[in-house]
Amino acid sequence: MIEFLTNFLSTYGFLIVSMTFSAMLALSLYLPLMTGQLSLASPGFYALGGYIAAWMSTELYPPLATGTTFPIPSLFVEMLIAAVACAILALLVGVPALRLRGIYLALATIAFVEVLRVLSLNLDVTGKAIGIFNIPQPFVTKIEYLYISLPMLIVCIIFMYRLERSRVGRAFRALREDELAATAMGINPTYYKVLAFMMGAILAGMVGAVSAHFLNTWNARQGTFDLSILVLAYVIIGGSRTFWGSIVGGMLLTALPEVLRAVAGIQGLPPFLTGFLTEGRLIIYGFLIALGTLFFPQGLITPEFLRRFARPPKASTPTKSKPLQTPST
Amino acid sequence: MNIALFFQQIANGLAIGSVYAIFALGYTLIFSILGIINFAHGAVFTLGAYFTYTFMGLAFGFNGLLAQQKLPFGLPFPIALVLGGLAAGAIGVLIERAFFRPLRMRGGDSLLTLVSSLGIAVAIVNIIQYLVGAEAYAYPMSALGGLPPSVNFGTPESPLIVRTVQIVIFAVSMIILAGLTYLINATRTGKALRAVAEDATTASLLGINTDRLIMFTFFLSGFVGGIAGTLVGLSVTVTGPYFGIAFGLKGLAVIVLGGLGSIPGAVIGGLVIGLAEALVPSQSSALKEAVAFAILFVILLVRPQGIMGRVQVQKV
Repeated sequence: MIEFLTNFLSTYGFLIVSMTFSAMLALSLYLPLMTGQLSLASPGFYALGGYIAAWMSTELYPPLATGTTFPIPSLFVEMLIAAVACAILALLVGVPALRLRGIYLALATIAFVEVLRVLSLNLDVTGKAIGIFNIPQPFVTKIEYLYISLPMLIVCIIFMYRLERSRVGRAFRALREDELAATAMGINPTYYKVLAFMMGAILAGMVGAVSAHFLNTWNARQGTFDLSILVLAYVIIGGSRTFWGSIVGGMLLTALPEVLRAVAGIQGLPPFLTGFLTEGRLIIYGFLIALGTLFFPQGLITPEFLRRFARPPKASTPTKSKPLQTPST
Repeated sequence: MNIALFFQQIANGLAIGSVYAIFALGYTLIFSILGIINFAHGAVFTLGAYFTYTFMGLAFGFNGLLAQQKLPFGLPFPIALVLGGLAAGAIGVLIERAFFRPLRMRGGDSLLTLVSSLGIAVAIVNIIQYLVGAEAYAYPMSALGGLPPSVNFGTPESPLIVRTVQIVIFAVSMIILAGLTYLINATRTGKALRAVAEDATTASLLGINTDRLIMFTFFLSGFVGGIAGTLVGLSVTVTGPYFGIAFGLKGLAVIVLGGLGSIPGAVIGGLVIGLAEALVPSQSSALKEAVAFAILFVILLVRPQGIMGRVQVQKV
């Protein structure tokens, strides 16, 4: 049993940690979406956080003696600096950009991610096309990154759980339901939208900082439009009306390609099917996203679904919220 | 920059800008009718380039399911171009029927359609890779028949050389633009399209078959996308299954710059971005890729409705 477990963890360690990262990236996109803002900027902040950690650990800190691991407190310092830098950038970008609505905001954030990507391809400090490599490792094996990522995820879950029930969370939801009505009730839309945007940016930046160590190298391929799509798919397929949806969506969709690979490994399948399952995994992935929007328009996890597990509702339980809508500007 | 080089850059800019324009029209047509952005458009663009390659009877590379396969016949480039566009249009109709229409029938909102179109784009890109591998494909030099590779518009002493490919691209784009303008402004179908764009419900009450028009719009969109794909492939090469994704993003910059849903806007936006990219000095040519997005970002902040767009008033 123990042997099985160690085998399992060493084979799937990379995947399990990636799943926690994806869940947190999905949350970073879900946060602005709580206020009704479709922002695809998360990969940009993720890339920035990663570059900060990669640069600090390779250039700023003294080189490690052979056989030692990168000190964890230094990693925390990097995460902190990444968080601060992302918060400042989010404030600078967010205040003008969040005047935009719906698809316009989505396009502006795509542009933001692309500009950052091209910049990182051309700056010396980001290592141009090669990127930064040989980022020191704080752990010996990949699965040990769970010591960092799992507490992060748990803190995020507690934070989100409290946020949805706080004054700020209710303001977010009010903005999503009807911005004009919320404004009339005295909610400052710019303040809360930028706040949500900054929270998402900080989370994405911190995940990026850890990911840079986890992946060992960091380059312009890390924060791209492809990742924007992927993270959006996590949130929409998982369910965009509760934060649990983002977490479940992020984990499931990250595991899916590996699951398909495992299915392809089953003995006795006809060769063409095995070939398709290994080579064509992303085809299936794409179609699953397209079909998911058709058959689970609310996502896999909905508030109604969660209520089945909840304690009997108190009298003040908020009524069911409207499904996600984007203003058609 | 000397004057001959400057004019060469202008010619480059006009050629690529005119392709941006017809490609972006594919987005605009669908946006003006359905109010959605079809992210699969970039993938259809790629498909168009591959279809043309296939119709020319050229063999595929060593990877993928169709390795070394080719059609038993080869068509001349102009016919293959049109057929490639038609095939891409058919794929557009297929996407509409299989994915967008069911979503619409269920009353799914536009965000879901966007995610769905992203999923389709991922699927198409990987189907291409599965079938013909990830390598680059180039149309043969003989594609343009007996035309010389470049034309000198200057004198032998001060040459002003423009690649023939650029002229062909510009000419084909202009023909497509003229055709579309005629179709939309001067035919019954065009009138019906404009009516549906204005108000789909009212248009259907007035006896316009909106469903068929939406299919037709997807066909047109796929057609111009496929043609644009072939033209860009002719100018550079078809760089692999991801060929259209970066181009698709730039197309978004074009339509926002021109104004979402505006047809003249898409043309102006395409030419402006094509010229702006061409005029980036060659020392910093690596930053060229960012030009379109920088313009997009600034336009969104300064004038979100674009050059030709209408300001939408939010109603309670």
